[in-house]
Amino acid sequence: MNKRILIVDDSFYMRTMLKNMLTDAGYEVVGEAANGAQAIEMAESTTPDLITLDVILPDNTGLDVLKSLREKVPASKVVMCSAVGQEVIVTEAIENGALAYIVKPFSEEKVLEIVNSALQG
Amino acid sequence: MKSREDEYRELFMAEALEAYDDMSRHLSELERAPDDKSVLNELFRLMHNLKSSARSMGHTAIGEVAHHLESLFGQVRASERQFTGSLVRVIFNGLDILGAMIRAVGANAEMPDSSGLLNLLDRAIAGEEVEVAVESETEEESGRKLELSDLVYIQVKKLDKLLNLVGELVIDRDRILTLAEELDSPALRATARHLFRISDDLQYSVMDARLVGVGTLLNRFPRVVRDVATSEGKEVELTMNGQDTQIDRNVLQVIADALLHLVRNAVSHGLETPAERVAAGKNPTGQLSLVALTEREDVLIQVSDDGKGIDTEVVRKKAIERGLTTAGVAANLDDQAVWSFLFEPGFSTASQVTDISGRGVGLDVVKRALDSLGGQLRVDSEPGKGTTFTLVLPTSIAVKGALLVELDGRAYAVALMHTDTVLSLQPAQFSVVGGLFVTHVQGRAVPVVPLAQLLLEEGDEPLPLASKDSLHGLQNVLIVNYNNRRLGLLVDKFVRQQNIVVKPLSKPLDHIDLFGGVTLLGSGQMCLVLDVPALTRLFLARRP
Repeated sequence: MNKRILIVDDSFYMRTMLKNMLTDAGYEVVGEAANGAQAIEMAESTTPDLITLDVILPDNTGLDVLKSLREKVPASKVVMCSAVGQEVIVTEAIENGALAYIVKPFSEEKVLEIVNSALQG
Repeated sequence: MKSREDEYRELFMAEALEAYDDMSRHLSELERAPDDKSVLNELFRLMHNLKSSARSMGHTAIGEVAHHLESLFGQVRASERQFTGSLVRVIFNGLDILGAMIRAVGANAEMPDSSGLLNLLDRAIAGEEVEVAVESETEEESGRKLELSDLVYIQVKKLDKLLNLVGELVIDRDRILTLAEELDSPALRATARHLFRISDDLQYSVMDARLVGVGTLLNRFPRVVRDVATSEGKEVELTMNGQDTQIDRNVLQVIADALLHLVRNAVSHGLETPAERVAAGKNPTGQLSLVALTEREDVLIQVSDDGKGIDTEVVRKKAIERGLTTAGVAANLDDQAVWSFLFEPGFSTASQVTDISGRGVGLDVVKRALDSLGGQLRVDSEPGKGTTFTLVLPTSIAVKGALLVELDGRAYAVALMHTDTVLSLQPAQFSVVGGLFVTHVQGRAVPVVPLAQLLLEEGDEPLPLASKDSLHGLQNVLIVNYNNRRLGLLVDKFVRQQNIVVKPLSKPLDHIDLFGGVTLLGSGQMCLVLDVPALTRLFLARRP
């Protein structure tokens, strides 16, 4: 069965791009959340194999969302998405259970490499 | 077809412009309340997103400016500095230039130079007290315009209302024109003619505002075809043409599901598996094409495959099994007439799983969607070569070309979409076959029935047997066409051809399905619009 992925990003543009990359690679995108509250709700209802989580979100910080996700859907793996320059947050995210991080702007190769290895790990 | 790059570009532009507007607003808020953390966070987030999107679109210059401004917001947010004094001006100036850069992307224009700004921002980030050069500010001031988009988004509902009002107007206009003739007043006639021109123009403009490219629907299909082909183990190459063909948005909405149905059917039933194709001496990859074109007043959308074609004999047999026809009648039907059974309700319900012909799964649904628009569905197929379904659609829904005929002193309208031709025939040109008048049109036998018998004689009994004794003098025959089936209707008189605005029948008449609606003629006379599909069905049910 295809691995199921939830995308969390506040930019529609970024979500569309990520979704295209992931579906083209054969993953099933089970949902797209634009903020932290949606992310937690959708993660609980879909229990995806993997969640891509933007570091900066409108309602919550990505870190807070990460902590809730680890608590509520511990089986879902989380990969952080962040632009260059957010290394401090990313380090903290990894300490809080994120498996890896994808640096924006996305390159298709990089995204798939990180997602593949996170799902296998 | 819109490529993925185009799609990304549109998304980027829409989001960037929105972010720019939001940031301008937030910045003004921040100026009034420099310590508002939530506004600062929002500014930081928006700028951060813009930076990421711009970089991934390859707009590095925008990404750079956004990165610098984001850093400044970061410093303010971390309380390293205050959002006051010269910093306010620097940031406002930076945002203005950023906006100009985004607009340059949208207009495909040259990107404004940002090196001076970057230098200024670098120094500001380093903690220097910097000031925006005065001339640049005045220049910016004089060059500043409140630019609004050239496009307006509008709810379809509002366009529907406009169209309805235009419909009412057209009816009154025709009434005034008739009055002007009756009163024989030159001044009124001249004014009426002017009103005619203007309302015609208005009607055209409103209809035009509702048109969209067929591509907005067709562009969904590469993905659908890919998915169905993958799950069915088929290899399919999709070609599309005529995406720019214009059609009323609501027409497109009504046929969206029907088209989806036809495309899915073509892939899963029309096209063979690669192995079957190779065995038949064909290229393993099946060809599927979606073509839209304008033909006179109509828009045609064709779904063609180069698959195995329709097995006419299987359809003939199933039509008999389903009781849609008798073995005797079926034996004499040509291919076109046999294929029409595919669109009959109930043709395929029992056989969806073991569907042998590979066609007919829910085609009656497609047919119904087209009937509701006054459109037509045609099919053409050649064994081993493929099948083409053609959707014939009205460009617009509100105004229909119609032919007015007269019967017993009353006018009736028939949509031109369903009329094939009009004939004036001598009694000698009719023959009587099985109790029905039959005449020959372009080498094909067409049954002819007096319209009065269908409309005015109630009941379910078979129609009275036709007798040539009842025909005296020239007979006016209107040949209508529905579902590849022609039927001649005897009427008293052909009145004229005219555009009509069809209104639904109000209660308690709305259950009479022989009438598709009602229209008002210029004379103020009410005119019923005949529903050709319903008339054809009634004729088939009551034929002697």
